[in-house]
Amino acid sequence: MAVYAGPVQDLIDELGRLPGIGPKSAQRIAFHLLKLPRDDALRLARAVVEAKERVSFCTRCFNIAEGDACAICTDPRREASVLCVVEEPRDVVAVEKTGEFHGRYHVLQGAISPIEGIGPEQLRVRELLARIEPEGVQEIILCTNPNIEGEATAMYLAKLLGALDLQVTRIASGLPVGGDLEYADELTLGRALEGRRVLDTG
Amino acid sequence: MHLRRLWLRDFRCYEQAELVFDEGLTALLGPNGHGKTNVLEAIGYLASLSSFRGAPNEALVRAGATQAIVRGEVDNAGRSVLIEAEINAVGRGRVQVNKQRLPRARDLLGALRVTVFSPDDLELVKGGPGLRRGFLDDTLVSLHPRYDALRSDLDRVLRQRNTLLKQAGGRLSDDVATTLDVWDAKLAESGEALAAARTELVDRLRPAMAGAYDRVAGRHAEVAAVYQRCWGDGSLAEAVAASRRDDLRRGLTLVGPHRDELALSVGALPARTHASQGEQRSLALAMRLASHEIVLAETGTAPVLLLDDVFSELDPARSDALLANLPVGQAVLSSAAGLPQGAQPGRVYRVEHGHLAVAPAA
Repeated sequence: MAVYAGPVQDLIDELGRLPGIGPKSAQRIAFHLLKLPRDDALRLARAVVEAKERVSFCTRCFNIAEGDACAICTDPRREASVLCVVEEPRDVVAVEKTGEFHGRYHVLQGAISPIEGIGPEQLRVRELLARIEPEGVQEIILCTNPNIEGEATAMYLAKLLGALDLQVTRIASGLPVGGDLEYADELTLGRALEGRRVLDTG
Repeated sequence: MHLRRLWLRDFRCYEQAELVFDEGLTALLGPNGHGKTNVLEAIGYLASLSSFRGAPNEALVRAGATQAIVRGEVDNAGRSVLIEAEINAVGRGRVQVNKQRLPRARDLLGALRVTVFSPDDLELVKGGPGLRRGFLDDTLVSLHPRYDALRSDLDRVLRQRNTLLKQAGGRLSDDVATTLDVWDAKLAESGEALAAARTELVDRLRPAMAGAYDRVAGRHAEVAAVYQRCWGDGSLAEAVAASRRDDLRRGLTLVGPHRDELALSVGALPARTHASQGEQRSLALAMRLASHEIVLAETGTAPVLLLDDVFSELDPARSDALLANLPVGQAVLSSAAGLPQGAQPGRVYRVEHGHLAVAPAA
């Protein structure tokens, strides 16, 4: 339903296509942008163009990168033998924040979800398989989301990788550290009980 | 557990309303179509965040308003719990318990439990198997929130698998086969778990149902309830594998707990087709009473009984028997035909044109 003059409606339509932005928000943002001083608006436009032109996906791991390879893939201190497989580039950031992982990543760019039209061929699975031999990968950590689609993707990859001579692991689910048991929801606590481990009593 | 107060704003026909409930029986009396069931529906909403009439959220918001608010004060073993639900005509609602916003709707489960008796319950016996599966699943969720997660996991797996089957267009390429393997495994996992939970529940419901039936019907009959897996006694994984070609041709998942049946019989004859209307009514009441009894035994608190105009549907003998056999605890009943004989409400509201007035208790 086009209500506004051409360029304004175009702007609202484009904003409305962004994730998490509905028609009302799109309209609000559009009018905010129209009120901005010319320089501020142009700075935003330039930032979008710049990001789009300079940033692309790493040709090796499909994380976001400036240039052909991302900062992690080009870092000689990272172990090549361990690969952490995640769904999205933002998951790389989440794992990086832990400081616990010193290997490299592989970003699938999604998870298997027929409803969204995503099958294994839409994901960067072939590219993952192609990395194993040349990079000498010995362990693959499946770090997809702990929901139905993430679990299905992990299961698919585990089957695919099972035939190869390497270790395949799945991240554990459990309780947030520093919290109280009583505030944990039943499902997470139930999973944590399932995944309990033996303490060294020696 | 009992409900002390209820406040409504822009809910159904009510612009503003406030009700105080008796710890025993509260009655809502008035002509049909004037708003009695709406009060029961609001109480039910606080328990499950959905309408027991199956109405969508936008139908709950008063015409002309954009948002309805239902607030209820519940006494749970001496502790006061304030549940507040915001229902939006468009978009998601919000829930707060004791002024704390709940991140997930699932976290609300258990704050208020209700058992609803409505005239539509007859369909539990006469209608399709989906209603009976729903009855079992709702009872499971009242017993433990993990069943809510199990049910939604299974729904999601089925939707994903069915979409994949449709996309395949009847052909089984290698790609489809390997992806289907994954969804088959997920379906077998959550499907077996739900079927096992339902079977165990039916084993517990059976004796409670038989007892309740005899009391409501006023005479003994052989009442049986058997959970029937559509894939028989083998494993679901094998059944799903065996059904793959048919599934592909139809573009649908043909085996799983979404096609199971709860078979009911009275006097060794199938209740759906062979029982009389009276027997079917008694059986439906017995199912609700049995579910109530088991939730009470498991959780230690009696759910609040919501009786939506059920007495007018019953003959005098069954009506008396139901009233005499109502479980202890709080009950809220609505009636267009006056109070059923023998009911002694501690509080009576007259409901007319969406207005509530306290009437002297009988």
